[in-house]
Amino acid sequence: MSTTAPGAGRWDGISFEERMATVDFRVGARAHITVDTDVCRSCTTKACVTACPADLFAPTADGGILFNYEECFECGTCYMVCNSEGALTWTYPDGGHGVVFHHG
Amino acid sequence: MSGTTTNGTTGPEPLEFDAVVVGAGPAGASAALALARAGRRVVLVERGPFPGAKNVYGGVVYGRVLDDIVPGWWDEVPVERWIVRRSTMMMTGTQSLSVDFRTDAWGSAPYNGMTTLRCHFDAWLAGKATDAGARLLTSTVATGLVRDGDGRVVGVRTDRDGAELHAPVVIACDGVNSFLAKEAGLLARAEASHHTLGVKEVLDLPPGAINERFAVQDHEGVDVEILGCTREIPGGGFLYTNADSVSIGVVVSLPELAASGVRPEALIADLKAHPSIAPLLRGASLREYAAHLIPEGGYDTMPALAADGLLIAGDAGAMTLAAGLWLEGVNFAIGSGYAAGRATDRALSRGDCSAAGLASYRADLEAQFVLADHKRLRKAPSLVLSERVQQHYPGLLCDLAEGMFTVTNPTPKPGGLKLTRTVAARHGVKLRQLAGDTLRGLRIFG
Amino acid sequence: MTTAPTTEVHPAPDGPLVVACLRIGDLRPTVDPLDGTVTRDRLGVGLSPADAAALEHALRLAEAWSGRVVAVCVGPESVEPVLRDVAALGATVMRVPLGDEGDGHRYVGELAEDEHGLARTLVAALAPFGAPDVVLCGDRSVDRGTGALPAYLAHELGAAQALGLVVLGPVTDSAGRQALLAERRLDAGWRERLNVPLPAVCSVEGAGVRLRRASLAGALAAEGEPVPVARSLAVVAAPGPGSFHAGAPQPFRPRTRVLPAPHDDDPRLRLLTLTGALVAHEPPTVVEPADAAEAADVLLAFLARHGYLDDTRVTIPERAATEDDAP
Repeated sequence: MSTTAPGAGRWDGISFEERMATVDFRVGARAHITVDTDVCRSCTTKACVTACPADLFAPTADGGILFNYEECFECGTCYMVCNSEGALTWTYPDGGHGVVFHHG
Repeated sequence: MSGTTTNGTTGPEPLEFDAVVVGAGPAGASAALALARAGRRVVLVERGPFPGAKNVYGGVVYGRVLDDIVPGWWDEVPVERWIVRRSTMMMTGTQSLSVDFRTDAWGSAPYNGMTTLRCHFDAWLAGKATDAGARLLTSTVATGLVRDGDGRVVGVRTDRDGAELHAPVVIACDGVNSFLAKEAGLLARAEASHHTLGVKEVLDLPPGAINERFAVQDHEGVDVEILGCTREIPGGGFLYTNADSVSIGVVVSLPELAASGVRPEALIADLKAHPSIAPLLRGASLREYAAHLIPEGGYDTMPALAADGLLIAGDAGAMTLAAGLWLEGVNFAIGSGYAAGRATDRALSRGDCSAAGLASYRADLEAQFVLADHKRLRKAPSLVLSERVQQHYPGLLCDLAEGMFTVTNPTPKPGGLKLTRTVAARHGVKLRQLAGDTLRGLRIFG
Repeated sequence: MTTAPTTEVHPAPDGPLVVACLRIGDLRPTVDPLDGTVTRDRLGVGLSPADAAALEHALRLAEAWSGRVVAVCVGPESVEPVLRDVAALGATVMRVPLGDEGDGHRYVGELAEDEHGLARTLVAALAPFGAPDVVLCGDRSVDRGTGALPAYLAHELGAAQALGLVVLGPVTDSAGRQALLAERRLDAGWRERLNVPLPAVCSVEGAGVRLRRASLAGALAAEGEPVPVARSLAVVAAPGPGSFHAGAPQPFRPRTRVLPAPHDDDPRLRLLTLTGALVAHEPPTVVEPADAAEAADVLLAFLARHGYLDDTRVTIPERAATEDDAP
């Protein structure tokens, strides 16, 4: 998960995993996010890592980006803040899949 | 459907419509409703399993726009609470200053604003459209536009078998990320500076506790807008009451959030721990966490709203009004969607679905609140998100109130002007700037 | 799919009949951590992975045999959106109401209490379609079911049963008849391969296949169509000879065990006393009887001895003492 200091990410008694467990994600077979990690190696900001509210992006030791797509809010933050053309592609998940908000 | 076979077809059902509406949120449902009422064959394409599944909002649905569209809407709408208290709070880490307004007038028909859950509200509105004869196709993504030889939009491709839905007009109500508006070249691919990120927690709280803590009863609710709760990132917070839960969240500028390296949920945690907020939420447990983008650029960043065979409405057209004192989106989506539906009907009647034939859409929006409000408040986003308003004024006003109301015996009370000058200097604001911003605010909001 | 809410007008059998018995419920019900109360949400209804796999297998079998698929679900009106999605895939769907539909949430939870009655209800509801050649179920239900439904269905239909399958496909047996070839998991990565004659009831794991998506035309055709509802046919299984009723499944709630405080001064000894690490225990009993009936008797006797069975309703047959019973 996050690379911040130990204890970070655990706010007011709720771990990030518990927080995400409150959301209904109907995971599809196709990854709707793809990352070209070669492009990410030259990225100095890696804004997606901290800005993604679902914490889906993790920096790897070799400077790349490891991504998840399963627990995605489909907000679009990642591709909006990405400053490297072509590093990140983002589409909607297949119909009927992805996040389902019950209390939006 | 007699004679249905296992390959899922019942013979060649024509996939031709008068209009395809993409997205069954408030904009799309209203557009489909207008078209269905005009007797048009309209299909409403929704990518979620039900309308509202993908939608998150930050507070209040203002129902005045529904008066003409669904008369007597308040008797049937799925409501959580009717807003009777509206509070604007400015805060620093240890202080808060609220302007709190309450009125009985908002607590009875025809009401002013309400809190609701989008999966209920959006489904209700889409139900109005299907009752009027619109077809609702859920769990289906409109993956792209279909164009004819002249480049006019004549339909959408879907992710079901790659099959297409054809119609002379496509109304894209596919939300803030609108890939259809982007494909049509109406919307920039990724313009972070025109967007804010909203993150929200819905917290379980018994109705009795809500009534006591927020000083309301029965179906009355409270809406609190908060400034100064987002650290150094431009933005704001909100807190409002549902029937048996409260929603709390922050809305922050996307590029500044990315530059700050702060995790979004940390900002909510800050807000929830604030001494003015924490007692309201004591013992509440998390029911659902959510995040969504908001188009907050306002009038000046709004895309062209029509192309040949294509209209855009709602968040896809950046219709959310984020002007400090007013934060409205759902009503703008309904207003723009219904107008798009009626403009499409007129264009179909005239047989001209080009951008020029659909131009009555924009004229209609300019004539009513949707674009009139946006135009009048076009400078508001830049003022509200300016550094002084974000970083200095909440603290300045809180310190001013503290200076005014702290009893300093035996030292005599400070004069108001002297106090203002001292406090302003402490916050690095010149009185001239304060006066200038006040004037600017009066011009924008007055 | 007929539009009238009745069970009568259906085409005559024009090919093998494949039935998918689906359980549709909230896939993410919330469970109160203190009292175990289950709260279900209408918006959460869907097919569990096992039910989706069962439906996909049904569609594939029907394709291979040029047969028909009938999908039935016992449940309240809130399951209809999901059945409509199933109809979009080309299956004939039917909803089977069960008794009072007033409180859908409570109702779904009670389905699991009488699986035998549920099986009889389903068989009665399916009667107008003719005798099914294959009945498919998911092997895990989301509504606290016990997983006994497929076995009861096989019993009621007089069909072969193969449960917990991961692979299922059509074959022609040595006599030239249509049959099924199935695989299920065994321990240690082994798999058991079964030849299943028709008619058969099969339950499948939520693995191996993924439910197809409906075509655009299919989805549009099914959209807004009323879901046919079977007449209310609630059949409750009367306790017959040799059957017993174990009651509704309850949330597991182990009793608190009070341990006396240990007296030793040495922390290590106190720890040993508390954990009982060096105390001799009775090893778990391994039941290795000769046949299934005997094994059932041993298990029933064990349950009765430990107070899990109501003695007044179950008679444990007296077994002749054998050498195995000697200590």
